[in-house]
Amino acid sequence: MNHKTFFKKPLVILFCMFWMGACGGPQNEPTVQQSPIHEKIGVLLLSHGSHSETWRKTLFELESNVKDRILEKGNIAGTKTAFMEYHEPSIATRLKEFDEEGYSDVIIVPILLTVSSHSFDDIPTIIGLKENPESVEMLRLENIERYTPKANVHITPLLDFGKTLGNNVLRRTKALSKNPEEEGLVLIGYGSEPYEKEWSDLFRKTAEHITRETGISEHSIGWCGHIVRYAPDSTTTAINRILEKKKTAIVIPSLVAFDENFQIRIIGGGIEKIKEHNERVLYKPDAILPDPDVEQWVVDISNKYSDKISNRQNN
Amino acid sequence: MFKKNRESFRKINNILHRDLGYFFAGLIIAYCLSGIALNHIDEWNPDFIVNKTSLDFGQSYEMGDISDRVIAEFSSRAGENSFRLYDFPSERQVKVYYKDATLLVNLQDGTGEYEKISRRPLFYQINVLHRNSIEWWKWASDIFAGMLIVIAVTGMFMLRGNNGFSGRGKWLAATGLVPPLAAIIIQNL
Repeated sequence: MNHKTFFKKPLVILFCMFWMGACGGPQNEPTVQQSPIHEKIGVLLLSHGSHSETWRKTLFELESNVKDRILEKGNIAGTKTAFMEYHEPSIATRLKEFDEEGYSDVIIVPILLTVSSHSFDDIPTIIGLKENPESVEMLRLENIERYTPKANVHITPLLDFGKTLGNNVLRRTKALSKNPEEEGLVLIGYGSEPYEKEWSDLFRKTAEHITRETGISEHSIGWCGHIVRYAPDSTTTAINRILEKKKTAIVIPSLVAFDENFQIRIIGGGIEKIKEHNERVLYKPDAILPDPDVEQWVVDISNKYSDKISNRQNN
Repeated sequence: MFKKNRESFRKINNILHRDLGYFFAGLIIAYCLSGIALNHIDEWNPDFIVNKTSLDFGQSYEMGDISDRVIAEFSSRAGENSFRLYDFPSERQVKVYYKDATLLVNLQDGTGEYEKISRRPLFYQINVLHRNSIEWWKWASDIFAGMLIVIAVTGMFMLRGNNGFSGRGKWLAATGLVPPLAAIIIQNL
């Protein structure tokens, strides 16, 4: 048999299969939209999203821990969790579900520390409240669906409003502290390029709260997010600044939940670069969650907004 | 018989290498260009061209000073005739949105940064593929990756003798493993 002829066909079939396989995308199920007739309020706990299963599990646990308390008052009919990127359920998925279930209002509670491009531009652009050109392009590139819900959307303030973060960091610092006079505090956060001042202010206020409560007088701040290109160097620098003045550095990751990439690879990697880190650095790769205060904050802010919505509709 | 089978195998091997090479040449080059672009994502934006212009409005402002008229004045200085909306990321900043641009004004010092965004030709499109920005493209990517393995493996058995894998090929293949192994060892030190 002539090999030329024999292999022509299989190769053509192979190439066809390549393109057929590639083009066979999932078909979207048609959705049935119901017009909201009466008041039905839902709460969407919205967080950044992560490849880490542990991270996502923590956020689902947050929802299950607050769900009953949010629903018990009676004017909120349901709660859901959504992730902005990396993993389903996405914001669009959840908002479509709320629409299908006939919700009139959705309270979005962002589980985010403070202002960032995500909270200020990306999330409002995803849900159709804004059309930030950079967000529009980035969302398209990152394949994040935008969806403008039929329900009215209300976005609550971020977690930095109140003493929640301060008390959280205080509890975790006290758990590591042995001799406050010889220790300094290192706060590591995600950070934000355009809002670095706001992040620094929040962390500075948090550190001052720790100083008042524990006597740990020195603090420094480092970033681990996109602002430092996810490099551990900022962590190392922040720790070294403390170790120039103090015997020991207490490192607190001020991140919403545990993610191996952040608490282990980036922050842990930054700590490993410190000489004598085993003796001079106190670190536990934990996160803000789980925290009863954060849970209570979610319940309170949800109730506050649902009351506002109910009052507005009654008037 | 054995020799005949070996000849057949080599012929199939060479045809596969040649035709898969032709078929995937464009995609290989696209992924290589995109790979280089994404490698340097910290030094430049491979997806977008962002033109930044610094502006000085000559005075400081309070949040309460900001009205549609003031925003229109800011916009005019940035070369925009109209704006979509504005919002306050913090007490010291106001952000104005346009069709394909934004203006972030620092109210405290009366300065602003105007950013106009456009897609970087060619790189945006190939990065769409490399980032799997199209949901179903990941399956094409998987097939492509598998075919690259086939191209690499068949490439090793193209020739016989001194120039074949049993000759110089094995040494070059082994040498090619040195840089990645060295990188892994150094990273673990």
